Amino acid sequence: MLEEFIKQIKKSISLSSAAEAYLLSISKQQVIPKGETLLREGHTVQKIYFVMDGCLRSFCTDKNGKEHTLQFAIKNWWISDYIAIHNNEPATLTVESLTESTVIAFNAKELINLPTLFPEFEPYQRHNLERHVVSLHKRILNQLQLTAAERYDLFVEQYPNIEQITRNYHIATYLGITQESLSRIRVEKAKT
Amino acid sequence: MDPSFASNYKKQEMKALQLMKYGEIKDSLAFNEISKPTVQVNDVLIEVKAAAINPIDKSLVLGNLQGMLPLTFPCSVAYDVSGVVVEKGNDVTRFEIGDLVYARVPQEQMGTLAEFVAVTSAAVSKKPGNISFEEAASLPLAVLTTLQSLEYAGIKANDTILIHAGSGGVGSLAIQYAKAKGAYVYTTTSTTNVDWVKELGADRVIDYKTEDYKSIVKDADIVFDTLGQHYTAEAFEVVKKGGKVVSVVGPLDEECAQMFGMADYKLPEEIAKLSAAKEATYKFIFMHPNGAHLEEIKSLIEDGKMKPIIDKIYPFNEAIDAYTHLATGRAKGKIVIKMA
Repeated sequence: MLEEFIKQIKKSISLSSAAEAYLLSISKQQVIPKGETLLREGHTVQKIYFVMDGCLRSFCTDKNGKEHTLQFAIKNWWISDYIAIHNNEPATLTVESLTESTVIAFNAKELINLPTLFPEFEPYQRHNLERHVVSLHKRILNQLQLTAAERYDLFVEQYPNIEQITRNYHIATYLGITQESLSRIRVEKAKT
Repeated sequence: MDPSFASNYKKQEMKALQLMKYGEIKDSLAFNEISKPTVQVNDVLIEVKAAAINPIDKSLVLGNLQGMLPLTFPCSVAYDVSGVVVEKGNDVTRFEIGDLVYARVPQEQMGTLAEFVAVTSAAVSKKPGNISFEEAASLPLAVLTTLQSLEYAGIKANDTILIHAGSGGVGSLAIQYAKAKGAYVYTTTSTTNVDWVKELGADRVIDYKTEDYKSIVKDADIVFDTLGQHYTAEAFEVVKKGGKVVSVVGPLDEECAQMFGMADYKLPEEIAKLSAAKEATYKFIFMHPNGAHLEEIKSLIEDGKMKPIIDKIYPFNEAIDAYTHLATGRAKGKIVIKMA
């Protein structure tokens, strides 16, 4: 799987053999069993994960103890707690696996320093960052201007087949609606 | 959750509601400053975010259970809790600091109406992620009673079950649990509660003020008796031949009595005769703390198959008023106390 990851990177940038060797040396493939916690709220964050297969979820817990899902990460998505890494503070997010997943784990500092050592990674990282910002902006705008049913439609489009993997409350807490509302939306859709 | 969120965990003293003597609620309960509990190897220390009280808590205060559960005073009170793990014993592997949990604590660790409670980890489960601390705290004792009763009865799809008092703390959860298992549910309640009990999923709600349940329920596979008194004996009129009557308030069965050291106890003759005539099983369920059972409930709650029902939430400094409210017996759902 590591080879597949390198191959993907090579689609967008050309890598020197030294850069490739270094990247391989800091990449650690892990198979994560279903239901395992990779990052835990309140703890120090050292890793950033790239998903090769499976599905992970990041969420926070509010002061009342309720979960709010920030992101699902499926194949080719990155996931971690960037707030904690950037601000050098304890995690506000928990990351857990919703299915058995294969990830490539990176030490956050090593991954972030990669372009300093090998500038060829710079456009690749910038592209990933931009893709991430676009996704977040879309998510915020959708939350502000779309109905719950419209947000659900987009969600299903963005994450095909995810409904077979996730629990209803994961989706409800991602869309910011109750499980009852989610059921109603599904019933309405089934009628059309 | 961020352990820094569990704000007070470095303190050595804590505030706790304690029973000073048996008697009337207002005269017997008091807030005291006491030592924070220490964890044994298998315990977790929970910073309490919410606790809940049940009918047994009122009976303890009044001294009605002195024979079975003798207390030494002062004694911290209440069994149901939801909060954050802030410390753990050396042998605890299932939990990490910061985990959000819920539990019905064992008798010897009673005292959830306090800032902290130490609980054996076997009694603890992570709380459902889609409900609040207050909702989670409302569940353990009532839901364990429900699950252990209906699991004993072997409830399965297409069984018919009569659940008495569908609007009660246990009844309202039992309806939802029985429906989640695919059973057909009859329940009794008073006129004012008919609609909301129906919303919980009951198939046939019997208004006991206008209808006679005994003429409606015939040959039930299971009767879940949450009322006691004459209802326990009447259960044998509506249960099918070879069916099961499980009770959480009726007379003890002989096996259960032996567990409490009453070797020569005999099931009351009336129940023994009725049960033999119907070839039916009678079982008294004495709820026991069980973290694995709470894990099972966590899934049902997260899948939206069950939901907690809260009557009222009190702040910690009004916990004694919460007991007074409990004593009226009029709560529809659970009475919860929120810590901060």
